[in-house]
Amino acid sequence: MNSLTPERITEELQSFQSRLARGVQALTEVGEIETGVSSRDPVYQEDKLVLYRYRPRVAEPHPVPLLIVYALVNRPYMMDLQEDRSMIRGLLDAGLDVYLIDWGYPDAADRRLTLVDYLQRYIGHCVDYLRERQRLEAINVLGVCQGGALSLCFAALQPEKIRNLVTMVTPVDFHTPDNLLTHLIRHVDVDLLVDTFGNPPGQLLNFAFLSLSPFRLAGQKYVEVMDILDDAPALKNFLRMEKWIFDSPDQAGEAFRQFAKDFFQHNKLVKGEVVIGDRRVDLHNVVMPVLNVYADQDHLVPPAASRALAECCGSRDYSELSFRGGHIGIYVSSRAQREIPPAIADWLLAR
Amino acid sequence: MFRSNPTRQDVMAESSNTPNPGSFDVGRLLEQARTFLAFGEEMRQCSEHLQENAQGSADWSSALRQHFEQFRTAVAATAGDPEVNPELARLWTLILDTWQRTAESMESASIAPPANWSSAAWQAYQQTQNQYLRLLQRTASEALDLMEQRLSESAASGRNIDSLRELYNLWVDCNEESYGRMLRNAEYSELSGRLLNALLRCYAPGETPS
Repeated sequence: MNSLTPERITEELQSFQSRLARGVQALTEVGEIETGVSSRDPVYQEDKLVLYRYRPRVAEPHPVPLLIVYALVNRPYMMDLQEDRSMIRGLLDAGLDVYLIDWGYPDAADRRLTLVDYLQRYIGHCVDYLRERQRLEAINVLGVCQGGALSLCFAALQPEKIRNLVTMVTPVDFHTPDNLLTHLIRHVDVDLLVDTFGNPPGQLLNFAFLSLSPFRLAGQKYVEVMDILDDAPALKNFLRMEKWIFDSPDQAGEAFRQFAKDFFQHNKLVKGEVVIGDRRVDLHNVVMPVLNVYADQDHLVPPAASRALAECCGSRDYSELSFRGGHIGIYVSSRAQREIPPAIADWLLAR
Repeated sequence: MFRSNPTRQDVMAESSNTPNPGSFDVGRLLEQARTFLAFGEEMRQCSEHLQENAQGSADWSSALRQHFEQFRTAVAATAGDPEVNPELARLWTLILDTWQRTAESMESASIAPPANWSSAAWQAYQQTQNQYLRLLQRTASEALDLMEQRLSESAASGRNIDSLRELYNLWVDCNEESYGRMLRNAEYSELSGRLLNALLRCYAPGETPS
């Protein structure tokens, strides 16, 4: 710092202030932030759930539909954020017939929804709808993050309905030493939380994510955005991501209670102790081909948490795909667009 | 078997997409901009101090140490009363500010505020929040130690830091490193859980809107 003079710092501060003044103006002029770029049609609806079919981008898409089961804790448009950052577009371009469950935003009427509702009713009905629509015994499923854990439970309970299962950044062992989310929730009185709120607020979950890296996620990025305020497309990309980050649905109370306690606090999934209704989830029943995709720098779902699946699932055709990047990069980085959808499509088309 | 099996797409509501997640919060950006400016002012004073007091490299190290000692003292003063210098306080209470904003938004969105602000539960929450603040202050002080050490190392190796932004990024790195260590230890896990539980105990279960 011995070459950094007070005059130079003053100059930089003045320049920052004038960029800030211009930037606030640019932010007011940026207009509506659109998310979700691929054309899609709703094909099935139940309560707040909507099942969408994305319009195929090849003349004859693969006959076995691919159902994407996204997490409950964020909105699924992360999979289709913008034209050049869309996992879904990549899957469509590779010839797949893609469907996605949008869980919607739970409200007070949903506080009693349990994991039985999410698994047997919602996922079950979407799977059956697609099986009937395509006249197939079984379909392909891509479970993402928490949606991957739900997909594993469904696949263990009704393996005959899943032809191939892809899990992406999916936690299986929630007690690996580097699991920061488990670390944060370990001492939370989940019963008190659910009994107090009914539906735990999305903002609270969002706080947990921000608290993992506050100086970068809640500080530095707002200083860095000053550099792109004159660049409308870059600014829109930033705002699109901001919209997604803070778009955290409240969680249906009873489902959250079981997920937080059984999966995070007691690590029952990997132990084969999760019970859905009156049925135990035994991952050894996951006998269909499995592709487990994880990110090697994932700070939310550490690789070891995902790779634990190798030891406990019953599939004889189990493979892994490691992505060099983090939990968000695997959806939106340009390398992810080049690597992940084609790899998933190749794996599915070969089976 | 199905609740609905529509044949007409246009009757399918897009209700799941309707809640407005909110537009960008310019306030968040302005707050961090002010924090950056406060950091810049602190560093400008540091640079002035170095220019006035350091002739040789030994002087420089000692002047740096002196200034960082003042910086640490100023940070500690904001722990007692953040209003003394709110922008400087925000440099290290970022996560607490975010927590308080989250707690406030939860109140307005989901639950009524506690009926009795002097209740034992509220006092317990305040006490836990103070413990949390002290932990953050310790971490902030460790981050300043780390930054001072990195600056000395970079000066010793002849590596120059040419811009305020570079210094700010170093400050962020040091805080993330020190905060990350704190985050991973058992004390933080226990205390952050206790902080949320204490807040929840301020609200009587069953009195929240269903």
